Amino acid sequence: MVLAELGSAFLLASLVLVVLSAGAGVVAGRQGDGPLASVARRAFYAAAVGLVGASAVLLVALLSRDFSLAYVFEHSDRSLSLPLTAAAFYGGQEGSLLYWALLLALMGSASIAASAAASIRLTAYANAVLAGIVAFFLVVMVFVASPFSLLPAAPTDGLGLTPLLRDGGMLIHPPFLLAGYSAFAVPFAFAIAALLAGRDDAAWVAHTRRYALVAWGLQSVGLVLGMWWAYHVLGWGGYWGWDPVENAALMPWLATTAYIHSAQVQERRGTLRAWNFGLVIAAFLLSALGTFLVRSGILPSVHSFAVSPLGPWFFGFLSVSIVVSGAALAWRSDRLRSPLAVEPGASREGAFLLQNVLLVALTAAVLWGTVLPLVSGMTGRELVVGAPYYERTATPFLVAVLAVLAVGPLLPWRRVRGGWLRLLRWPLAAAALTLAALVIGGVRQPGALLALPLVAAGLATCVAEYGRGAAFAARLAGPWPLTAVRVAARNRRRYGAYLAHIGMLAVAAGLVGSHAWQQTRQVTLQPGQSVTVGSHTLTYEGIGTRSETDHTALIARVRMGDETLEPGRLTYPSLGGQAVTTAAIRSTPLDDVYVVLAGADGAGAAFTVYVNPLVTWIWVGGALLVAGVLLGNLVRPQPQEERAPAGLGATVAAR
Amino acid sequence: MTTTIPSPTETPTPPPTLRERMGGRGWIKWLVLGAVVAVCVGYLIVSATGSSAEYYQTIPEMRSHPSSGNVRVLGTVQDDVARSDGGLHVRFTAAEGGQSMPVDYRGTVPDIFKPGIQVVVDGRMGSDGVFHARTLEAKCPSRFSSAQSQGSPTG
Repeated sequence: MVLAELGSAFLLASLVLVVLSAGAGVVAGRQGDGPLASVARRAFYAAAVGLVGASAVLLVALLSRDFSLAYVFEHSDRSLSLPLTAAAFYGGQEGSLLYWALLLALMGSASIAASAAASIRLTAYANAVLAGIVAFFLVVMVFVASPFSLLPAAPTDGLGLTPLLRDGGMLIHPPFLLAGYSAFAVPFAFAIAALLAGRDDAAWVAHTRRYALVAWGLQSVGLVLGMWWAYHVLGWGGYWGWDPVENAALMPWLATTAYIHSAQVQERRGTLRAWNFGLVIAAFLLSALGTFLVRSGILPSVHSFAVSPLGPWFFGFLSVSIVVSGAALAWRSDRLRSPLAVEPGASREGAFLLQNVLLVALTAAVLWGTVLPLVSGMTGRELVVGAPYYERTATPFLVAVLAVLAVGPLLPWRRVRGGWLRLLRWPLAAAALTLAALVIGGVRQPGALLALPLVAAGLATCVAEYGRGAAFAARLAGPWPLTAVRVAARNRRRYGAYLAHIGMLAVAAGLVGSHAWQQTRQVTLQPGQSVTVGSHTLTYEGIGTRSETDHTALIARVRMGDETLEPGRLTYPSLGGQAVTTAAIRSTPLDDVYVVLAGADGAGAAFTVYVNPLVTWIWVGGALLVAGVLLGNLVRPQPQEERAPAGLGATVAAR
Repeated sequence: MTTTIPSPTETPTPPPTLRERMGGRGWIKWLVLGAVVAVCVGYLIVSATGSSAEYYQTIPEMRSHPSSGNVRVLGTVQDDVARSDGGLHVRFTAAEGGQSMPVDYRGTVPDIFKPGIQVVVDGRMGSDGVFHARTLEAKCPSRFSSAQSQGSPTG
C-alpha cells in the first residue's frame, strides 16, 4: 500500500524533473548558457535518483512478497527463490519499462557528466534529448502501465514465473539485452546534439564512439547470452531461430558494428560525416522499431508478449524519433559534405567502407524479412519468411565480411603501393592451407569450403599483426617483454580490435560448423538399445523419476563411451502440469552431443539427438569479442594518445 | 612518458593530392559501385523472399484460399491429442474461428504443448485432408508476459 504510493510518487517526481531538464537543456543549448546547462544536468541527475528510488521500492515489494501490487502478483510467487524474485523486476512489461528508464537515466547521467566539460552546447542538447526519451518512458509508466498498480484485495500468493524462465540465464540475459537497447539512446542523443549544435567535428566522434562502444558491448553480451540460453534451456538443439524478437536485437548491433568501424575513417580522414550520423541514428531507430514490434505484438512471433495497450505509444515514440532525426539531418545536410572524398580502390578506408556497405545491406535484408508480415498484410494476405530466407540472404554477406576482415587490417590508409602478393602473403597462405586440408579431409559443402579458409585467413592476418608488433618491440631499447607490453598498451585500441576480430572469427567458425555439419536423429529406444549419430554411439540404459519441492523429474540415463548423459523432463504440478525439457549436453571443442528426452511410454523412450559441431567456439568467440573491446577501450585515452604517432616511416608494403 | 614510442605499422597520412583538393572524380566510380551493390542486394532479397516466403493464416483463411505450397497456420489445440512413438509423433485437431483441421506432426513437441494452447504449424494440407506439419511452435500463454518457447528450429 505505502510502497505503491511511494513508488508512484518517485515516478511522478522524476517525470517533472526530466521535463524541466529537457526544457532547460534546449534553451541552454541554443544560448550556450553555462549556468542553465548545469540546471538541466542537475535536474537529470535528480530524476535518475528518483528512478533509483522507484526501482528500490519495486524490488522491496517483490522481495517482501507484497501481492497487493498487481505487478508482484502477476510475476512472482512464494515458491520462487530470492534471486529469481528479484529478476521478476524486469521479467514483465511494466517492470522492464522501469528498468529501461533507470538504465537510461544512469547511463545518460554518466555520459552528460563525462562530456559536460568538453562542450556546453553539445552536452546541453544531448541532455535534452536524453531527458526527452526518459520522459517518454515515465509518461507511459505514470499514465498507462504503472508497475505500482494496486489490486483491489491483496491475494495470499502470486501467479509465479514460467518454468522456462526459472533458470540462471534469466538472471543475466535480459538485463544485458535491455541495457544494450537503452544504451543506443546515448550515442543517438549526442548525434542529434551535434547536429543541433552544428558540431560535426572530432570532439563529436570521440564522445559518440565511446558511448556507441558501450552500447555495442552490452548488446554483444546480451545477444551471446540469449543464444546460450536458447541453446541450453529451450532444448531445440539450436541457438538462433531468426525470430522477430531476435532480429530486433540483432539489427541495431549490426548498424553499430558498422559505425564503430566507419568512425575511424572520420577520425583519420575527416570524411564519411553524414554516413556516420546516419548509422548512429539508424541504430537507435532500429532499437526503437524493435521495441515497438516486440511490445505491440503485431508480428507473429514465438515470443508472445502480453497484449498491451502500449503499441500505439511505442509507435508514436518511433514516429517522433524518425521525424526529429530526419529533420535534424536535413537541416544540417549542407554542413555534412565531406571535405575529402574516399578514393576508390584498395585502401584501409575503402575496406571500412565496403564492410559498412555489407553490414548495412545485411541489416536491410534482416529488416525486410522482419517487417514482411506487416508490409504484405497491408496489401493482401500475410506473408512470412523463416530461417531459409535469412540463411540465403545472410550467407553471402557474411562470407564477404570475412574476406574484408582478412584483408582490411593489412591495407594501408589511402592506397596500396606495390606488392599485393607480399602484403597478403600470410592470409593467402593460411587460406590455401586450410582449403587443401578441408578438401583432403573430405569436406564438400561449398559454404564450409568458402568460409573456413577465410576464417583462417583472418586469423593469420591478426596473428601477423601481433607478430609485427612483437618484432617491433624487440627492436626498442629495454627488455623485450616490457617493451612489448608498452607497445601493446600504447596501441591498445588496435590490438584490442584484433582480439575482437579473433573472437568474431571464432563465432563465424562456430556458425559455419554447426550449420554445415549438424546431424539429427529422432529415435524411440528400449533399454539396452543403441543409436549412432555421426561418430557417436549412445546406449539407452533406463529411466527413473525424482521428486523435488516444486516439480517431479523424469530422467533418462544414456551412456556414451564412459560418460552418462541424463536428459530429463520436469513437470510442475503447481503450474497446471507444465513440462520443461532439460537437454543433456556434452561439449568438446570439436562438437556438442545434445540429447533431448521427448517423452516415454510403453513403446520406449523417445529421444532427439543432435550433434552440433563447433558450437563451443561461438561462446568462446563471444567472450573474446567483448574482452577485446574492453581491453582496447577500458581506459580513457589521453588526448595526445588518441592518434597513434606514425614515426616508423616504413609502409606496410615495403616491409 | 612514453610519447616517443612510435607505432609499429601505421603509415603517415600524406597530404591531399591535387586531384583530391579539386574534389576528385572518385564519386562516379563510387556511384557505379553503389548501384551494383544495391542491385545485387535487391536481387538477393527478392529472390530469397520469392523462394521461401509462406502465407501466414488462420484456419478459416486457409480454407477459403487453398494453397498447394507450404503455409503457416495458427490454431488452438483441441482435446483429442494422441501421442505415439514415445511422444515423437502427435495427432490432434487445431481449431480457430469456428473451423478446424486435423494435424499430424513428427518431431520434438514443445514443452508447453497441451490442449488449449495456440500453436503455429508450418507444412501443407495433404490429399487425405490432414495437415502434415514440418514444424510445430507453441505460442506462450499471455500470462507469462515475457516468456518464450520454441518447439523446433524454424524451417
